[in-house]
Amino acid sequence: MTPGNVATNASRAATAWSIRPRHPDAVMLGTLPFLLLIAAWWLLPHAMQYPAYKLPPIDTVVDYAWEAIQDGSLLRDIATSLGRLAIGFAIGMALAVPLGLAIALNRYVADVFRPVLSFLQAIAGIAWVPLTIIWFGMGNGSVIFVIANTIFFSSLYNTVIGVQSIPLALHRAVRSHGGRGLALFTNLILPGAMVQILLGVRTSVAYGWRALVASEMIAGSNGLGYMTMEAVQWQRTEKIILGMIVIGILWVVMDRAIFTPIERRTVARWGLLQR
Amino acid sequence: MTAGATLASPLGLPRSFHRLGRTARGVAGVLILLVAWQVSVPLVGLSSYFYPSPADVFRAFVDLVRKGILPVYLADSMGRYAIGLFAGATLGIVFGVLIGMHRRIALALSPLLKFLFAIVEVAWIPIFVVWFGYGIETIVLALIYIVFFPVLYNTLLGVRTAPQILVNAVRSLGASRLAVLRLVILPSALPGIITGLRLGAGFAFRGLVFAEMVAAKTGIGYLIFDGAQSHDTARTIVGMIVMGFLWLAIDQFYLRPIERATIQRWGLTVEAEDRK
Repeated sequence: MTPGNVATNASRAATAWSIRPRHPDAVMLGTLPFLLLIAAWWLLPHAMQYPAYKLPPIDTVVDYAWEAIQDGSLLRDIATSLGRLAIGFAIGMALAVPLGLAIALNRYVADVFRPVLSFLQAIAGIAWVPLTIIWFGMGNGSVIFVIANTIFFSSLYNTVIGVQSIPLALHRAVRSHGGRGLALFTNLILPGAMVQILLGVRTSVAYGWRALVASEMIAGSNGLGYMTMEAVQWQRTEKIILGMIVIGILWVVMDRAIFTPIERRTVARWGLLQR
Repeated sequence: MTAGATLASPLGLPRSFHRLGRTARGVAGVLILLVAWQVSVPLVGLSSYFYPSPADVFRAFVDLVRKGILPVYLADSMGRYAIGLFAGATLGIVFGVLIGMHRRIALALSPLLKFLFAIVEVAWIPIFVVWFGYGIETIVLALIYIVFFPVLYNTLLGVRTAPQILVNAVRSLGASRLAVLRLVILPSALPGIITGLRLGAGFAFRGLVFAEMVAAKTGIGYLIFDGAQSHDTARTIVGMIVMGFLWLAIDQFYLRPIERATIQRWGLTVEAEDRK
């Protein structure tokens, strides 16, 4: 896969979802299912009998949301989770990029590591939680290990692909101008691989985000995942629903505010130039 | 040491030599890891609860097979996986075709689907537990939720990129809407569907293990979780290793052949990249 392909994929991806954003009925039609869902949720307790813990009425959830915002517990959980995601991301990337470069640049390193790594990749992420609870106990250590582990394998893959997708013509060009060793590395390999590494950030964080929520459910003592799973025991379903909505909104915000701009700028700066 | 070494094909030496060297180096990597693990156990000096040796793990494996636990767990896990995958893929294809062919449905559903996609499947598991209890319903629903989105998205991509010229050709020959679907849309969406299925299968496998940790009393995920809970860490590691081989086997013997048989035959090699 060449960087050019990534650009075409991105534009293809854009055509897949959005059909002319300025369609007159777009807003009306798009909000309709949300309104129907809310109406159904609001009417359901009147229409049929079911225990409140199965699906609390909307106002219970809104009240709880207000309460959790006021006493600061919601913000604390959000900050804890995002902090873990950031640390796990930093560790995972810091390990993956150098190893990925080594694998892509040296055949012997690649041959030795590939079977072990592809096996470990198959069990990357959440399957480590029971073991990390034994090693690090409940809390930060376990959760961060799982996030870093997940992000490591995703960005490792992207780094290797990134180096391998540098066009051979550019290699020849740099080398025929006498670029080798460190100069080749800093002028070609690193910036060339950077395209795919940056484009892969979004995927990596998407995996890491799932790993975060999942591992907090099992190994957390706070954070969003813990908040939702702990509520099951106390049958505080309004807490679960609030957690789900916050998880959804946070991802949409992260995607819009961080990853989409990164993707756009990367493609604009490097992606098309590589063709 | 330069990238040229990986890019250029090895010259001069017969190919079998390189292949042999490559396999040998791969095996060496695995052996180094196993030996380092075994040797480090007495050096670290922790109890096998914290740090079991490969020998402990092998004994636990033999024990689990002899007692017949592992085969039952494997069968349970695979049953859940197959049901979830099938149901999720079916839903994804149906919605993908509907959304791809009807503009109003697309406008109406895409914001909701985007938001639902942002609420990652793991976040649904607690409320599934409240609604359906611990058991197969919760696990299968989570799997359906996971598989649905990549299949939907890639089906949509396939439907939208179906050549309009062919649609027009078939329609001008008097084909009904259903015939267009069968003759043009579905065949040209097929590579997308398979790509989505392959992505979804990967996500779902991890989802299966997690869901089994939380909501099951059998299965590979439960084996991994329960081993640690009952202070039998070697069992946890057996579970992890079985999980790894299981995924490699599913990928090698089911997903890749399907991909080969469809995508490559249609000549549209869509990279199964890890993005939804």
